[in-house]
Amino acid sequence: MKDVVVTRRALLAGVAAISAAGLPRAGHAETPKDVLVVGHVAELQTLDPAQAVTISDFRILCNIYDSLLHYKDGSLDVEPGLAESWTISPDGKTYTFALRQGVKFHDGTPFDADAVKFNFDRVIDPNHPYHNTGPFPFVFTLGPIDKIEVTGPHTVVMQLKEPYAPALTMLAGAIGGLAGISPTAVKTYGKDFSRHGGGTGPFKLVEWVSGQRFVLAANKEYWRGAPKLDGLVFRPIVDENARVSEMLSGGTDITIEVPPDNIATFTASKNFIYYQQPGPHLWYLVLNTKTKPFNDQRVRQAANYAINKEALVNDVLKGTANVANGPTPPAFTWAHDDALRPYPYDPAKAKQLLAEAGYPNGIDVTFYVTESGSGMLSPVLMGTAIQADLEAVGIRAKIETYEWNTFLGKIIPALPADVAVAELSFMTQDPDMHPALALRTGAAVNSGGFSDPKVDALIDAGRAETDPVKRAAIYKQLQDLVHDDAPWVFIANWKQNAVSSARVKGFELHPSFTTRFYATSKT
Amino acid sequence: MAGLILRRLLMVVPVLFGVSVIVFLVISLIPGDPARAILGTFATPANIAEVTRQLGLDRPLPVQYIIWVGKLLHGDLGRSYILHKPVAEEVMERLMPTLLLAGTALVLASIAGILLGVVAAVRQNGWQDKLITVTVLIGISTPSFWLGMLLIFWFGVRLEWLPVGGMRELFGGGGALDTARHLVLPAVTLAAVAAAVLVRLTRGAMLEVLRQDYVRTARAKGLTERRVIYVHAFRNALVGVIPVIGLQAGFALGGAVYIETVFQWPGIGRMLVSAISTRDILLVQGGVLVVATAYVLINLLTDLAQGLLDPRLRDA
Amino acid sequence: MSATAAATIAVAAPAGRGAARPSAWSRLTHNRMASIGLVLLGIIVAIVLAAPILPLAPPNVTHIAQRLHAPLTPGHLLGTDQVGRDILSRLIWGTRLSLAVGVFAALAAGFIGSVIGLLAAYRGGLADTLLMRGIDMLMAFPYLLLALAIVAVLGPGLLHAMLAIIVVNVPFFARGVRGGALSVVRTDFMAAARLSGLSDMRILLTELLPNVLPGIVIGVSTTIGWMILETAGLSFLGLGAQPPQADLGGMLGEGRNLLQVAPHVATIPGIVILLLAIGINLVGDGLRDVLDPKLKSGGLARFYPVTDAAPGAQRRRGLDLPGEAAARLPLALRGLRTEFRVGRSVYAAVGGVDLSIAPGEAVGVVGESGSGKTVTALSVLGLVATPPGRIVGGEILHHGEDLAGASLARLQEIRGRRIAYVFQDPQTTLNPLLPVGEQIAETIRRHQGLRRAEAMRRAIVLLDSVHIPDAAEKARAWPHELSGGQRQRVGIAIALANDPELIIADEPTTALDVTTQAQVLKLLNELRRQRGAALLFISHDFGVIAELCDRVHVMYGGRVVESGPVAEVLGRPRHPYTQRLLACVPELGRRGPPIAPIPGLPPSTDALPPGCAFAPRCALAEARCSAGDIALLPVAPGHAARCVRVAA
Repeated sequence: MKDVVVTRRALLAGVAAISAAGLPRAGHAETPKDVLVVGHVAELQTLDPAQAVTISDFRILCNIYDSLLHYKDGSLDVEPGLAESWTISPDGKTYTFALRQGVKFHDGTPFDADAVKFNFDRVIDPNHPYHNTGPFPFVFTLGPIDKIEVTGPHTVVMQLKEPYAPALTMLAGAIGGLAGISPTAVKTYGKDFSRHGGGTGPFKLVEWVSGQRFVLAANKEYWRGAPKLDGLVFRPIVDENARVSEMLSGGTDITIEVPPDNIATFTASKNFIYYQQPGPHLWYLVLNTKTKPFNDQRVRQAANYAINKEALVNDVLKGTANVANGPTPPAFTWAHDDALRPYPYDPAKAKQLLAEAGYPNGIDVTFYVTESGSGMLSPVLMGTAIQADLEAVGIRAKIETYEWNTFLGKIIPALPADVAVAELSFMTQDPDMHPALALRTGAAVNSGGFSDPKVDALIDAGRAETDPVKRAAIYKQLQDLVHDDAPWVFIANWKQNAVSSARVKGFELHPSFTTRFYATSKT
Repeated sequence: MAGLILRRLLMVVPVLFGVSVIVFLVISLIPGDPARAILGTFATPANIAEVTRQLGLDRPLPVQYIIWVGKLLHGDLGRSYILHKPVAEEVMERLMPTLLLAGTALVLASIAGILLGVVAAVRQNGWQDKLITVTVLIGISTPSFWLGMLLIFWFGVRLEWLPVGGMRELFGGGGALDTARHLVLPAVTLAAVAAAVLVRLTRGAMLEVLRQDYVRTARAKGLTERRVIYVHAFRNALVGVIPVIGLQAGFALGGAVYIETVFQWPGIGRMLVSAISTRDILLVQGGVLVVATAYVLINLLTDLAQGLLDPRLRDA
Repeated sequence: MSATAAATIAVAAPAGRGAARPSAWSRLTHNRMASIGLVLLGIIVAIVLAAPILPLAPPNVTHIAQRLHAPLTPGHLLGTDQVGRDILSRLIWGTRLSLAVGVFAALAAGFIGSVIGLLAAYRGGLADTLLMRGIDMLMAFPYLLLALAIVAVLGPGLLHAMLAIIVVNVPFFARGVRGGALSVVRTDFMAAARLSGLSDMRILLTELLPNVLPGIVIGVSTTIGWMILETAGLSFLGLGAQPPQADLGGMLGEGRNLLQVAPHVATIPGIVILLLAIGINLVGDGLRDVLDPKLKSGGLARFYPVTDAAPGAQRRRGLDLPGEAAARLPLALRGLRTEFRVGRSVYAAVGGVDLSIAPGEAVGVVGESGSGKTVTALSVLGLVATPPGRIVGGEILHHGEDLAGASLARLQEIRGRRIAYVFQDPQTTLNPLLPVGEQIAETIRRHQGLRRAEAMRRAIVLLDSVHIPDAAEKARAWPHELSGGQRQRVGIAIALANDPELIIADEPTTALDVTTQAQVLKLLNELRRQRGAALLFISHDFGVIAELCDRVHVMYGGRVVESGPVAEVLGRPRHPYTQRLLACVPELGRRGPPIAPIPGLPPSTDALPPGCAFAPRCALAEARCSAGDIALLPVAPGHAARCVRVAA
């Protein structure tokens, strides 16, 4: 703890000296060199990667913790992280990891196989002495883990109950950071570990003031070498308008998630750099396939034809998203079917399909819209624009808006019988998860009640197949099938965006939607 | 006087108890639960059941309430599900900024409101009165969140005179002056409406008091107008104005929600709004209880101030 | 709702059903601010009501290609919003919605709050306690959070937002109405109503409600603007009106994120909310001025420190020059006329009074209430309330100096120093927040320039001299700790504090019981004789005057109808009014027919009959009584009367 205090003093003192030297404008002080101030969308909820659930938390945590596997720069392919290498047994149930040696946690204790076992056992074993430091809501995404075994000081074996191909990408993903938690820190702080944290990553905690700032300092002993920045400060600025104001007035160096309408303000100026990066995200409308009118495939396709998706992504979302062609986002480069064309905007065709389906005079439907929500972009505005498009072909949608939490309660596990349409979006790290949760017959989040045995079979096959090439072929087939079935209206794939001052160098957004500042510097 | 304080303090307890019951009931009526808020689109029934169990929310509501009250008696407000920290810690961390903001706004509003109210009354129908009346009219007719937006836009972004938000500079800040600079815009925004209400009230009270017989007596004694107005009339007018300052405290604490949102003030109002949306029941419970306590205590203070001023209330 | 509104309900509640004055509507339109508000609101309401027939673009149709056009774009007067909808059209429809919601919410909150308040006040006891503690709890809950929680329970939507706003505002109405109703419930006439066996419902509706109704109406009307702002606030947070429907707050909220790129989207609805709220508040205030009984007569005008007086030349028109003798007199009123102007009516409260007092002399003025005697007394040092009072004619001579035209500074030198007052109601004439000693001492400090401690010492001596026991201790007492008699003794002490030359006592004992009355009068008379002060004694009680005074003036309808030495006037009253007045005085030990009160009421001074004001009530009236002005004619040395029969 002592060195942390010293670091903090040094950091803040250096910072003060620098800002005193400069000539701050009246409204604010210039941010100092080598300390990056991030306008962050939310307050950090927890420092425990096993507890974290929000993208905004993971954007911070990925700078403090390492995973066994890492994503490569600019893609969702995996590369070695805390594990130098790994093997998968032919039955797809046993994963063996050789761990990197000489890695130390921020508290100075060594990273080894026992630490990995401790970390996994803490979350999967209800009898583990530190299991009460939970809950661990997203651990299920790692798959059906049976047990973790230590077979050497730097070797661990992960035993699955059944084959689960997505496991590798999930271990590289945000939740995978739990592998790199310091057991000493967990034991020291108990339940309050969530407020102190402790990992092996490039940055470590200095100070956390609720609602004001979250300050990290460089981990000079980082195993990949010290990061270029000395410090990293996240300022929680929930209100997007306030985030823009702060960025414009120089209170932050970088802002993630710039509202679409403000992008032009930044791109027009040489003082700012604009970043964007598509990610594994789908924004879509769930159609209630169980009841009239969307129990008819023609009506579902009509809805897909009726909506002007180009206009939505270009005008409403100001280019912060691409038009989606099907259920799998293009960010999964290996699994995405690039040949699949999105439904074109064709109101005439939509009307014709509606008439064929027996609705020449149009239909009245109820349309659930959420006010906000993770990955929902501008749901109210989108809903309003979609409502107008649908109305133009005779689908008269009555919007009902709900707060996100209530909204979820209303649509999961299934839409009410009298509700035909709902907005929804999904972010994932593997092409399996979304179809498995939301399209498989009887699946938990299959709100539209969609059911197609062929789709079910493909989902199961993809999950069991460990050969990436074969897996990719299965998912391409799945996309074509779902595209025609049209259980959803495929609208958009979000491009995460950010804007930084021109002083920031070496920053790139990552397709996983996290923000990694290891290679970033600031002049 | 001591009797008055004691009696009022005793009355606070049932009110706070009632508040805590209302909060628990209201939150329990809100559809959706914390597990769903945590899991988002991954909220499958199985996941929800698991998280709910881990959070200890599977027990019946009355049991949860009794457990909460039991812990409260030991000074424990429980743990926030979402923030993973003790509620008391978070609430205290957030309460100070809100008290600073609301308190400053209230002081500003009281000083400006009473001062201008007296001026308007003394110069009734003069240009000062007209100017004040029109300003006040605009004040009570302006939505505070809109005023905040405009102030940020002009003084923060365009003119760059004052910071657009937050409570202190990240670098080289933290002193009283720094905080004061950050406090200006939000406090002024929050004070605007309260000040306007107080001006109207003070003006009315002064005009009313200036018609009283004892003011005529004071004048019949040949006292100067200054003494008539500031010693005889003003004190009496203040007796009627002070309880309204207490009421305004409620508005300031409530209105802080907008202001904290617009100015990213790290206060309890913003915390409560997000806690309501995430169904963080213990955080809402603890937060509301503390704010309600603050409100009740402020009112107690105004009662005492009124008692100090008016001997009749002391004996009543 | 604003706290002021809550306060007003309580204040306005005990409404008397006042005399007919200019109609409410004409008073409302005569208020300049309220007229502006009416016009503003009228325009807005007219536009909003005409919305269906105005040539507006459909408010909810989106044209994404035409988004965020600036104002004054052809076809879009106020530009377009983020999905290309016409802002003007959305604004008009949105205002319609906001206005309707505001009005309805205020009415509903007013209704529910009033029911609770009335019940609590009327039932009292446990019901009152329970209802009010419930209200306390709601009020202790930060109001916006309560609204947020309610919306969270019910789900967002304009209807639910409105409901939330209603709930959070009910407590203010309930409190205000309860306060107002309590003051009515506690009156004797309510007790009488209950005793008479009327049903509770009937009493509530026919007795209690009409008394608090003006307060409720004021509360509702001054609250509508606030309601609109609050609903807009919830919509601003996305909890109110749901898309595509627009209300003003929702438009503001949607436009907020565009402040940097398209400021007009948020600015325009903000301005409209502002204008709407201003209009409503102006009209609400106007309505309050009309309905609040306290404000009815002449508005809540502050009294000037000195009574307004017409210019000297105008006042002296028709007066001869004062005689040399006036310079010796502490007071000589010559043709004093004091009027009140309320609306278009002129009340000639004092209609030409002549009166003089020699050093050390005691002069009484007697008459019924409304006869102008008090106004005469207050006119002397310019203490008649202005507005509406004004000295329009005559002179007030103090050793030959005309006080009616004196500066405030000069008057302040005379007030309390040369001429001092003892007022009628000791309950209200002492400042409740100052210790009584201080109230005496401050006038000593003012006129004798003494230091604080010395002045207090004198004040204690004075208290002692007016026979207040433990004077030193009582000097620190508050007025409410003293009995009525003691308070009036304090009043006398204040008057004597600077050894004035003349004391004007305006019904100083009317509010006291008979025994105390006698003691106080005795004291007043003794002390003023000791100190050689003259006395102008105002009373409706001939008996008291007879005891104290050398000479008496009888006033009726603002004029002196008879004057003369007390014995003369008592022994041989010449004016029929004096005769009737004397007939009312009970004489100790005299047996005879019961006292016959004078039939009828004194005339209102804004409609005095020509000639003798008493003629309509006079049993001896003849045609010539009403023919023209009647002079005050001498009937005996020093004795004069204003009656046609005297002249004959």
